[in-house]
Amino acid sequence: MLLPYVLVGAILFVLGMIGFITRRNLIVMFLCTEMMFQGIIVNLVAFGRYPLNGVPTFDGQVFAVFLIAVAAVEAALGLALVVLLYRNKETLDAGAWKLLKDE
Amino acid sequence: MPGIASWVERSVRAAGEWNLNGMSTLLVIFLVLGATGLFLALPGTRGGWRPVGMALLVAAGILLVFVLADFALGRELPIWFGGCALVALFAATRVITHTKPVYSALYFVLLIVAVTGLLLLMSAEFLAAALVIVYAGAILVTYLFVIMLAQQARLAPYDARAREPFVGCVAGFVLLAIIAAQLLVAPSGVGAEPTVEEAAGTVEAVGTLLLTDYIIAIQLAGLLLLAGMVGAIAIARRQAADSTPQNGGVD
Repeated sequence: MLLPYVLVGAILFVLGMIGFITRRNLIVMFLCTEMMFQGIIVNLVAFGRYPLNGVPTFDGQVFAVFLIAVAAVEAALGLALVVLLYRNKETLDAGAWKLLKDE
Repeated sequence: MPGIASWVERSVRAAGEWNLNGMSTLLVIFLVLGATGLFLALPGTRGGWRPVGMALLVAAGILLVFVLADFALGRELPIWFGGCALVALFAATRVITHTKPVYSALYFVLLIVAVTGLLLLMSAEFLAAALVIVYAGAILVTYLFVIMLAQQARLAPYDARAREPFVGCVAGFVLLAIIAAQLLVAPSGVGAEPTVEEAAGTVEAVGTLLLTDYIIAIQLAGLLLLAGMVGAIAIARRQAADSTPQNGGVD
């Protein structure tokens, strides 16, 4: 039963990646990175539950706990940056920042 | 050069082998349907085609049930797994295709709940609870605050059109095809049921591991959270160059 979980995790990751590439709203792009994290979490727990030697461990779940902590930090910093960028240009369009300099 | 040639030869032979067991055609149809449907369903100028894209995605979802059943290697797929997986993928698709960011965030909550169901099926109870509390409870509320702070009343032009939807869909589904093809050629021992009766991932089981083997790592995670919090406050309080100072001009 490992492979169906891995496939679902892979599809979640790929959907997040497609959203990150194609959407232009900064907030939706950040949501898509969180979606990629979800795919990874499913994979980590599945690999911990169905290891090759047949003895399940909790290391995958511990790894996922750290992943959640990192995701929380990333969301806090990312959203703070989004707020700062929005105050500067009054837009959430990622394309508005492609020059990376003051006009 | 001979390395590349032998790699190509091996790949072609592997492709021929996994073409024989009959499930690869199903997988290819699923990938093509999904890519086409997602391309049409992403927000863009092709307004009339979006329902077609949605219909193609629904068809891909129905196909996915059979693909997953094939990946279960002959064992019966639990109906809860199929349900949770389909709800998760439906929510994920809506997150990236919806033109209103508020609805994207709310569909993301649905995605979290479905992923929680998947984790419970793997008896990761503590992680499931933590995921709901941290993601649906804390992170998504922050997202909603920012969306309500920054969102315009009507549909913004950058939400109405996707950037390079064709390139994005092709890149994503080529990656997915590579991963799925590798899963198909997995050796027979991979993914077998645990030989030992598995214990549930309760707070006690995970917490004991966290506070013994991973004690340094969890201290570092706390440090990272503290640094992230300080950084977020510092960034968010900085005034934009041309805006009037607030909070008594703190900066």
